[in-house]
Amino acid sequence: MRIKIDHKICTGCKQCEIACSLAHTGAVNPWRSRIRIFVGEEFCLPVIAGPYTEAACNSKGIRMAEGIEVDACVICRASCPAKSVYKEPDTGIPLKCDFCGEPPNPQCVQWCAPNALTLVEDT
Amino acid sequence: MFGWNGRLLRINLTQGTSRVEDMPTSLMENYIGGRGMNAKILFDEIDPRIDALSPGNKLIFATGPLTGSGAPAASRFIVSAKSPLSNCVSSPCCGGYFGANLKYSGYDLVIIEGKSPEPVYVTILNDRVEINPAGHFWGKESSETEKMIRKEMKARYGLDNWALNSMGIADIGPAGENLVRFASIMSDGGRAAGRSGLGAVMGSKNLKALAALGTGQVNIADVEGFRKAVMDFYKEARENGEFYKRRRYGTWGLPGRANASKSQAAYNFKEGYSEAFVKYEDPEVIRDLIRVRDEACFSCPFSCGKRSRIKDPEYPLTAKGPEHETMALLGANCGLGNMEDICRANYLCNELGMDTITAGAMISCAMELFEEGHLPERDLGYPLEFGNTNMFTLLRQIAHRQGIGDLMAEGGLTFASKYGHPELFMGIKGMGIPAWHPQAFDALGLQYATCVTGGSHTKATMPFYEGRKDPAHFVEFTKKDQDYIAAADSGVLCWIIYHGPLWGEKLSEWLTYVTGIAQTREELDRLGERIWNLERLFNMRAGITGKDDALPPRITKEPRVKNRVVPLDKLLPEYYEWRGWDKNGVPTREKLKELALEKEGEGVI
Repeated sequence: MRIKIDHKICTGCKQCEIACSLAHTGAVNPWRSRIRIFVGEEFCLPVIAGPYTEAACNSKGIRMAEGIEVDACVICRASCPAKSVYKEPDTGIPLKCDFCGEPPNPQCVQWCAPNALTLVEDT
Repeated sequence: MFGWNGRLLRINLTQGTSRVEDMPTSLMENYIGGRGMNAKILFDEIDPRIDALSPGNKLIFATGPLTGSGAPAASRFIVSAKSPLSNCVSSPCCGGYFGANLKYSGYDLVIIEGKSPEPVYVTILNDRVEINPAGHFWGKESSETEKMIRKEMKARYGLDNWALNSMGIADIGPAGENLVRFASIMSDGGRAAGRSGLGAVMGSKNLKALAALGTGQVNIADVEGFRKAVMDFYKEARENGEFYKRRRYGTWGLPGRANASKSQAAYNFKEGYSEAFVKYEDPEVIRDLIRVRDEACFSCPFSCGKRSRIKDPEYPLTAKGPEHETMALLGANCGLGNMEDICRANYLCNELGMDTITAGAMISCAMELFEEGHLPERDLGYPLEFGNTNMFTLLRQIAHRQGIGDLMAEGGLTFASKYGHPELFMGIKGMGIPAWHPQAFDALGLQYATCVTGGSHTKATMPFYEGRKDPAHFVEFTKKDQDYIAAADSGVLCWIIYHGPLWGEKLSEWLTYVTGIAQTREELDRLGERIWNLERLFNMRAGITGKDDALPPRITKEPRVKNRVVPLDKLLPEYYEWRGWDKNGVPTREKLKELALEKEGEGVI
């Protein structure tokens, strides 16, 4: 199963961040969420936490996405030392999306009112 | 603690100090948060007779127990102070990301006191509260200010793009700096705590902006119950189509609806209909013209906000809005019909930091004065009949207090009186009347006239719901709706989503799940009534009386729309009776005793 993201539909309401932190920590705190929304002018980018890397890379920079400049660090899913997201704010322990258990029932998808996030079968 | 943080932040700009205080439990129990707490704090801490622009006035940014909790549409923060425009206590609300960040920083509210000797801006990063010089931002427009603040915070705190993106900023534009009496506090590049001129209060304190970034959390009392309740709510909103409707059109469906039913504010309220607005009766037209994307406030699944674009090199690539009230007041009411022009006026007001509604009322007043020959062209320097785009120049002049703008910045009554016709300013207690024409619905006129902060659109309910139109009940509903909105503003829930009969019970449901303290709808209504009465007492001490519960003669005497006038002199006694006030609009001792406000009432009634 995969979570399919349609960034053109995302409104930047961040209910997914709230749903994720509620499901995983029992309190509401977007900084402890495994999904984060980057709010841009033209569109918002939902980015789901991927694997942990021990070191930051130095190959990133500004990339073009649909004619708009995007910081590649923002679209990268890794939980890395150079980023402020995908880690516990107090301890620095890295976070990774676990699809809310088995079978997958991701809460971010449930809480996404515009259906920018959908759960789909692997193709 | 669940819901609340239980802490408040007090910043004294005169001394340049800040300190954290514990929130008294009684305040949380009796006033919940947001507007209620602010009313109580202002009542206790400031003398209502002071000049609103003096250092003695206090500016409070408040959240409620629901802010940032994940309850749908609970992102708002409330800003309160004595208004320089209406001299009443005022509490405009604003969406966006600032409220939630303030909450996650660990404070329920921030009280700003005194006056800084130099321009400053305040940054709140959890426990790290700093007052920084803002001399180099002074004079900058709103979105430029936010950009510069983000850049500076990046350098100072080493924040990465994610952190900068999550931040919330509340700031003022040139209008607030120049103490324009209807300047607004802007947030997140186009949202506004707009009505009643609190931007000028912020400017009078030499405070350019507040920036908040919080990484803390909000605790929920009943997590499983809350998650299930939100999912049930989602199911309902999906099935009845509210999610879809509000996301697709936001408030853009309303100008057409108002125009078709002849209840649009048009040509300085001379009419209820604008020929140029007929083409917007299908909201798809507006959507096709200007929409870029749907833009939600924090934690709002409805996302009625819209980002729009026009092809104009002078203004930003994309910007927020315009919303219905802006389209009506700066559009139809000023005789503009072209959506590009309306957007331009909206962007201009947002960048300069002015309330689009009162600004629209001011401009349309000037236009009518000009057309009637009371306002000579030599005072303006250009012609200004209805629909003339010279109004953009005038908006800039007001914000920078140049030429005639200096006089207009003092508010509509001062301006219209100078030219001998105060009755041509369509305002209540100095604040411009919002978009729906009061003559189209009697109840609406009553709601506007009796509103504690002046002619506010956020403290009145939409007139077209069932029951609100029935003359036998609308006075009763006016009172009940006002009380309910006061409670919702204290939660804080977005009034746009929750004011209708559809989800009136939700406030108590969310509060019960989040705070763990069960409160019924009746208890909350009573709490709202207490807030409303307390604000009334504040206003009375400030010198506002029942005589100020009035509408402009155009609304009460000239049948302009649907051949009706608002029979306010008949409605007011009935309204006072429902409120438990005497015939002069003064709360009675019995009423205050019932609401546990006897102590506050001493020396006032």
